[in-house]
Amino acid sequence: MTTGLTNAVAEAIPTFQGYVYPNEATSHPVWSVLIVVYPYITGLVAGAFIMASLVRVFKVKALEPVYRFSLLTALAFLLCAPLPLLFHLGHPERCFEIMMTPHLTSPMAVFGFVYAWYLMAVLLLELWFDYRRDLAVWSRTATGFRGILYRLLTVGVMDVSEPAVKLDAKMAQILSIVGIPSAFLLHGYVGFIFGSIKANPWWGNPLMPIIFILSAMSSGIALCVFNYLVLTWIRRREVDMRCLDTMAMFLFYALLVDAAVETLDWLHRAFAAEEGFQVMQVMIREKLFYTLNVGQAVIGTLLPFLMLGSLQLLRRRVPELARRRMIFTSAFMILIGVLAMRWNVVMGGQLFSKTLRGVMSYKFEFTGGEGWLMGLFLIILPFIILTVLVKLFLSERLHASEPAAQGGGAV
Amino acid sequence: MRRFRLPPQILRLVLLTLGIVGTYLVARTLLVPQSFGEYGWYRGAALEEIASHTPVFAGKKACAECHTDVAQKLAHSEHQTLSCEACHGANREHALNHDVVPAKVPNSFCLRCHEANPSRPKWLKQIVVKEHYGEKCSDCHLPHQPSQSP
Amino acid sequence: MKTQVSRRSALVRLGAAIAGVLTLPVARRAKAAVQNFFVSSGAPKGYDPTEHKWLMCVDATKCIGCGLCAEACKKENGVPEGPYFRTWIERYIITKPKPGSVETRGETLVDSPDGGMHGFPECPVPTDQIEQSFFVPKLCNLCEHPPCVQVCPVGATFKAPDGTVLIDKNYCIGCAFCLQACPYGARFLSPVTHTAEKCTLCYHRITRGLKPACVEICPAEARIFGDLKNLAADDPLQKFYENNRTEVLKPYLGTAPRVLYAGLDEEVR
Repeated sequence: MTTGLTNAVAEAIPTFQGYVYPNEATSHPVWSVLIVVYPYITGLVAGAFIMASLVRVFKVKALEPVYRFSLLTALAFLLCAPLPLLFHLGHPERCFEIMMTPHLTSPMAVFGFVYAWYLMAVLLLELWFDYRRDLAVWSRTATGFRGILYRLLTVGVMDVSEPAVKLDAKMAQILSIVGIPSAFLLHGYVGFIFGSIKANPWWGNPLMPIIFILSAMSSGIALCVFNYLVLTWIRRREVDMRCLDTMAMFLFYALLVDAAVETLDWLHRAFAAEEGFQVMQVMIREKLFYTLNVGQAVIGTLLPFLMLGSLQLLRRRVPELARRRMIFTSAFMILIGVLAMRWNVVMGGQLFSKTLRGVMSYKFEFTGGEGWLMGLFLIILPFIILTVLVKLFLSERLHASEPAAQGGGAV
Repeated sequence: MRRFRLPPQILRLVLLTLGIVGTYLVARTLLVPQSFGEYGWYRGAALEEIASHTPVFAGKKACAECHTDVAQKLAHSEHQTLSCEACHGANREHALNHDVVPAKVPNSFCLRCHEANPSRPKWLKQIVVKEHYGEKCSDCHLPHQPSQSP
Repeated sequence: MKTQVSRRSALVRLGAAIAGVLTLPVARRAKAAVQNFFVSSGAPKGYDPTEHKWLMCVDATKCIGCGLCAEACKKENGVPEGPYFRTWIERYIITKPKPGSVETRGETLVDSPDGGMHGFPECPVPTDQIEQSFFVPKLCNLCEHPPCVQVCPVGATFKAPDGTVLIDKNYCIGCAFCLQACPYGARFLSPVTHTAEKCTLCYHRITRGLKPACVEICPAEARIFGDLKNLAADDPLQKFYENNRTEVLKPYLGTAPRVLYAGLDEEVR
């Protein structure tokens, strides 16, 4: 039978070169596209949140126009974050076990609690305190589904007096402060999942959580830039250049620090040249050539660095349109580059064998539970949710109020 | 004295939090298996479940219960370290029900161990088939007493 | 407003308490139903895991590379066909250095075709170019500080009191973190159960006084098995570790593997 023959042929084709442990010679990696998408999404959440907290905690007034939008972006992506994990599990119906009997020696065990904490106690609460007054006002006039939604969301607290609003602002600020380490924990634990694996020299090193957090920040800010420009373009509004320039500045410095620490990792590996270094070089040359050198290094780091860096030097001397285009392109390239970085980390750790004398060849399917299409869908889904959130909470037909959501050309 | 009044936002949130935490604790009592924690951070019942898999190989002792003469001969030969099922295959079915006939040992099975291979240790007697003998090994070697001929 | 809020909140609190009390018997019945799912039968009664400490050791000088152990393991444990092995054999072929070079050794070739379960094909290197060649059986190293257990997020894999490292396949969520954490490649994700799987030391056999299938079948006594808490007189296990200079795999990782190997080489990973 033809299927039998094709299967036999497929198995006969070696899926590795050198020597790999027999259990490693599967045709697909154990942690595939979904596990690349998950840290990407939580990184975007953490980065977008940090950018929003720049407004409340560090009082960067120039970023006020994107404050609410950043928080809504973080929420849209956070809601989708558990999906790649759920789809990846061999037994998703047992996922509740991670919250019922979390094995606290495992970094993965904290997922349930960190996620729940971050979603409910940080992000939703901060959004609630920031929006509560507006929700109370909107619920009085809105009808139908929207009206019900706004009323529900006020949790019955309709007090819009001065002291109540002041309390809201104070609580939001406290949450913003609490949110910064929480965001670092939300994404840092993912970095630690890789960083804690001593069996794998590509992953197991203490810089991993730091690199993850720093690349998360640059990707999150890049996402906010990207979203802001797309939204103002859709709405045919004027871009607040002061806001955009400030975002570009933070994006540049986030990228700079991230690139510095990643370079440090590289330098140390090359200098120490431990036993795994040789097989890793083979892997980089043969398996990760495009995603690492082209995707992460050139597109993701070098080009945006040059563009954003030149903008920091030349500033207003560059005309506004050119600045917008450069910032948009840089943001988009950083988004691609950070996705490539997640790919390089996750796949890189699996493409070489723990025997340190073999390199695998994995197949990646297009369709199927862990295929490209699924990964693409999971990256696009948050944007769909964000559109809904923007329509409900950031619509221009609703009049937003102080304190943090106003400003010229505000979204 | 002014009575302390909890602002409504805080009060509602505290109630909501208590509700969520309460639901979680109730869920825990329902969903954590009873034997969890018996020996450590795992279901104690798992030990029983894993041990309840039915064995497939009978083991040399089981064969020796009936085939005492063969077992005796084997025990004094070079093949004394071999288990019966190494050559005769898994035969628990036969040990439990003697009507089940064990599969025949293929003629070339001896080569599985004795075919010459430079990676094999030198203490093992190895032969290159072409140079040794092309027909059945049992023509010259009794399988249970290999240094003796039939 | 004040009295309204406090009365309302008091009523809410009372209502929650009543609801909680009412759900208790329902909860208890539901809990019993859930737990029935986990109770099994057919396991050897009277086996106390705290009274044993199982260990398997490997004498690589004895292994003849027949692969009967890997084959027996697959049969005994119903391991799926394909690149899934609870135990396997590796062949090491260390070639002589090139003539004229000042190296002590040439290239090292390692292979494990189908885990060695059908034996090994002809040696790819002519005999006169071989400096050293040998077989190494591999299995779960029964670590004292297993990294696989450390990383399991739900407690599905664990170190049993009798020294085995086991997987609860009714609890495993299939996240594969343990596969990544094992430095020895001992684990795989079963395409049948969608959970992690690995050598269990044939737990279902050793709890019944039998030997693991691979130990039973090995014709060369390359695998030595015993109970450290119940060493027999002239126990082969005791003789092995008392009379041999042994090593463990990847000791620098701090996993404290208990499986002792004799006759390894610096090329073995």
